Amino acid sequence: MDQNIRNDLLKLFRENLSRAMKLYLETCSRCGLCVQACHVHASMPQLRYIAAYRAEIIRKIYQKYFKAQGRFFPRLSEAKELNDDALQELYEAAFSCTGCRRCMVYCPHGIDTEMLMSLAKLLLVGARREPEMLSLLADTSIEKGKSLALFKKDFLTGIKSLESRVVEKWKSPSGQIPIPVDVQGADILYVPLSGARSIIPAAAIFNAAGRNWTLSFFEAVNFGAFLGDPARTRLILERIIDEARRLKVKKVVACECGTAFRVMKQLSGKQPFEVVSIVQEMARYLREGLIRVDRSRCNGPITYHDPCQIARNGGVINEPREILRHLAQDFREMSPDPAYNWCCGGGGGLVAMGEDTLDFRMKSARVKVDQILATGAKIVVTACENCHTQLSDLNDHYKMGVEIRLLSSMVADALVGPEETASTNPEKQPLQETTRIPA
Amino acid sequence: MQTLYYVILVPMTYLAFAVFFIGTGLRLFTIYRTPKYPAALQIFPKKHPGRLWAIHDALLFPTIRKHNPLLWVFLMLFHIGFFLLIIGHIELFGEFGIFQIIPHEVFPGRGFVGLILCLSLLFFLGRRFFSPVRELSTPGDYFLLILIFLTALFGSQMDWARRWYGYDALLVENYRDYLLSLLYLKPELNFAVLNSGHAFMLVLHVFFANLFLMIFPFSKLMHAFTSVAMNKLRRG
Repeated sequence: MDQNIRNDLLKLFRENLSRAMKLYLETCSRCGLCVQACHVHASMPQLRYIAAYRAEIIRKIYQKYFKAQGRFFPRLSEAKELNDDALQELYEAAFSCTGCRRCMVYCPHGIDTEMLMSLAKLLLVGARREPEMLSLLADTSIEKGKSLALFKKDFLTGIKSLESRVVEKWKSPSGQIPIPVDVQGADILYVPLSGARSIIPAAAIFNAAGRNWTLSFFEAVNFGAFLGDPARTRLILERIIDEARRLKVKKVVACECGTAFRVMKQLSGKQPFEVVSIVQEMARYLREGLIRVDRSRCNGPITYHDPCQIARNGGVINEPREILRHLAQDFREMSPDPAYNWCCGGGGGLVAMGEDTLDFRMKSARVKVDQILATGAKIVVTACENCHTQLSDLNDHYKMGVEIRLLSSMVADALVGPEETASTNPEKQPLQETTRIPA
Repeated sequence: MQTLYYVILVPMTYLAFAVFFIGTGLRLFTIYRTPKYPAALQIFPKKHPGRLWAIHDALLFPTIRKHNPLLWVFLMLFHIGFFLLIIGHIELFGEFGIFQIIPHEVFPGRGFVGLILCLSLLFFLGRRFFSPVRELSTPGDYFLLILIFLTALFGSQMDWARRWYGYDALLVENYRDYLLSLLYLKPELNFAVLNSGHAFMLVLHVFFANLFLMIFPFSKLMHAFTSVAMNKLRRG
């Protein structure tokens, strides 16, 4: 490796050393407790999939260039030079880690391996060795923020074409637009993904709850975060912050996307709006009686997969269970403690990298499959598009014979009007034929 | 030989304490001067108050208790033992009423604290030779354990000799005179410290302890001062 490139990378390393990062880099006692933590290691017991081993790769470079011990006695801590081989190792460590932070639950010091892996990813970006796919997706998102006018027309046409499908789920009073866009002074800015799947059910639910909401022009997912590039993460996030401030909304509701929710919630800083997940909104609507659902529409045992970035890392744990109590007659917990739930194996950009990672994703998530099958559930509900894709892939690959659903679509499909007392009348008519008075 | 004893017992000890205090202070200063990470890092479910739970986590290692109970037992024994030995060493500087709430002779624990410490260190060292901890360990991890083991062993031997075998040529009073003379910057090595049959144990103990103190700020031993802060990040 060229000395100039190395210097640039070390500069990048130094500039991104936060206090937490330094603590994490200095403190690992290599006790080995995290051996049990990683789903990849549990599915494929190889040394390189142990959290501490992943972290050591970056720690050894830190030792070499930032610590006296590593400079003067490199063999004591096995300090390592930053070269092409090291970059390859960093790549393998960082892009086999889904950033689920289950290891953080185990570590006696609470070391955040995801953060150390984000440093590894950043060095890869600096060396232009990052996955091309993620880089492209991130740049596209940023470009969209810069030239909104160019795609606005197509976007509005696309949204218009979805309206009839929203009305199928919930009939709004005449004159009300089923999917409002660009509404000044709306209470809620809903940030979806690019697919209809994240727009239609959410729109029906907001309409049923009688909310004054508006749809964001931008998709919520933050490819910058997958890429581990703080600058691009920021740019992608700022498109949404700017839109929320321009429309003067009170609340930004993130769609079912773990990374999007966590980035928006934790990196937005102090803003005139609050950031919540649509899961929290749905739970509130049910709690306050703004929407009602028909429990009889969903038969058979149901389990819920906690998306890591929403539950363990985002704190939304009780709300989905609250919703499922309204929806399911036979709800089964996957893990006795949600903090210990296995990752689906698709986070950290792995699902976004598509076919390239498919084989690894299937092999590394065998423990997740076992965990789901052990519940005996026939419907697996989750609240993250990424998890949904990965779980669906697992379902096909392992022939699990379950149905993978998103929470919002479960709620939207079970919406009923206020006069229908759903649970007492399981043989009721299909949804679209009943008369509804919006709440 | 006397010169070597002197170098270890006086200049090297001063140097070790200087390196320990200045080094640890500087390392903590450089870490805390670094800007905070802009986002919250905690994991959920959250328990209140986070600060107290962080202290709880740092002192009682609940995750180890849950996932590796045997390691937890030895870790607790080791850390409690280490704490008692620190108290024992402070008592070598004088008598402190607060430590005598449970009346004891110096050192507390009748020699068994040192024994338990040595055994738990052997356990830690032993497990580093077995997979997967073996593959995770760096040479420094082994050396550090060996260093602490040697320090504890020679220190304990002096205690064991007095407590279990009635050895009375090197007593607490002698250590106290030596340490107080260091503290008041008028170093003086009394006859027992230099010439008693167990003087070599004292010198070896002090030598290894000095190495330990000098390595402390530059090694993972810093977890003693950073663990609460790190657990606070996790607890939020």
